[in-house]
Amino acid sequence: MNVEILEKTDTNLRFVIRDADAPFVNALRRIIISEVPCMAIDEVVILENSSMIQDEVLAHRLGLVPIKTDLNAYNLREECVCKSKFGCNLCRVALTLDVEATDTTTVYSGSLVSENAAIVPVSANIPLVKLAPGQKLKLEADVRLGRGKEHAKWQPVAVCAYKNMPQIKINPKLCDACGECVKVCPKAVFAVAEGKVEVRNLLACTLCLDCVDACPKNPKAVEVTWDKNTFIFNLESTGALPPERILQEAVKILDKKTADFLKELAGEKDETS
Amino acid sequence: MIIPIRCFTCGKLIADKWEDFARRVKAGEEAGKVLDSLGVKRYCCRRMLLSHIEIADEIIKFYEVAGKGKQLRGQ
Ligand SMILES: [Zn+2]
Ligand SMILES: [Zn+2]
Repeated sequence: MNVEILEKTDTNLRFVIRDADAPFVNALRRIIISEVPCMAIDEVVILENSSMIQDEVLAHRLGLVPIKTDLNAYNLREECVCKSKFGCNLCRVALTLDVEATDTTTVYSGSLVSENAAIVPVSANIPLVKLAPGQKLKLEADVRLGRGKEHAKWQPVAVCAYKNMPQIKINPKLCDACGECVKVCPKAVFAVAEGKVEVRNLLACTLCLDCVDACPKNPKAVEVTWDKNTFIFNLESTGALPPERILQEAVKILDKKTADFLKELAGEKDETS
Repeated sequence: MIIPIRCFTCGKLIADKWEDFARRVKAGEEAGKVLDSLGVKRYCCRRMLLSHIEIADEIIKFYEVAGKGKQLRGQ
């Protein structure tokens, strides 16, 4: 297997996996979506809320705020040494919010005060509530690690998808560069240059086959297939974790799952799971 | 009511881009170009901002008046 990174930013990772198969790449995708832990607000104690947003709606909004996650310093609640459902310093972070409006104001996620300066919302500019003069908001929120399969707020990614590598062949004997495929392609994969149709942007192809339908020749001058062992994988983090870390964690989890499975096959009972 | 925190479809954080978006569109910029410059690529996220109406701004006027009434009555 061979991995080539196409694009890497703070939140985005796009890469090509070669010599892999669909079950493996799909396992990776599903683990990223439902099993890689990240942090989110889970329980909210509302001490005072005279705003127009109801307590439960506010709690839901808070839950969806992506939180910068530290996977090294914190444990999942169910795996923590404290074995308590209330949590300890290793499995919970408390955030507090205390605002009273004198003018009409918007309360932003930046007003949340964290007990750990590293565990804060991804952005400080998320509007949470609007307050009219005299309205008050006072609450305590518990942040903990969780997994996407429990609630989507613990999903570390927004987009996590793959497609097969497209393979486009233009038959020079049949093609007369009429340009129909260039016109119809929604992703501008083709271009006409010097009386010939060229594939300019292969990776953008979504395999819609519109170019094949549009080709007036019979038999068709353009052929679109895909390589079933090469994948283009796209990952967009919510900002909770860097995308490369999400991938590393997913691989670790997959490794552990396969090791556990082999152990079960060999007839050994695994005490930890 | 108030801008949703995330895109309903894909889960991307969009709430932090709303005020910037609304201000720039009101100032006369083309909405599509503003969305491009804010890095909102997918149409699921774009419709979140494009179709949003901040009703909270209308409702809060009633609370502002109610608050002033209380102040005048010395409560
Ligand atoms: Zn604990
Ligand atoms: Zn979206």
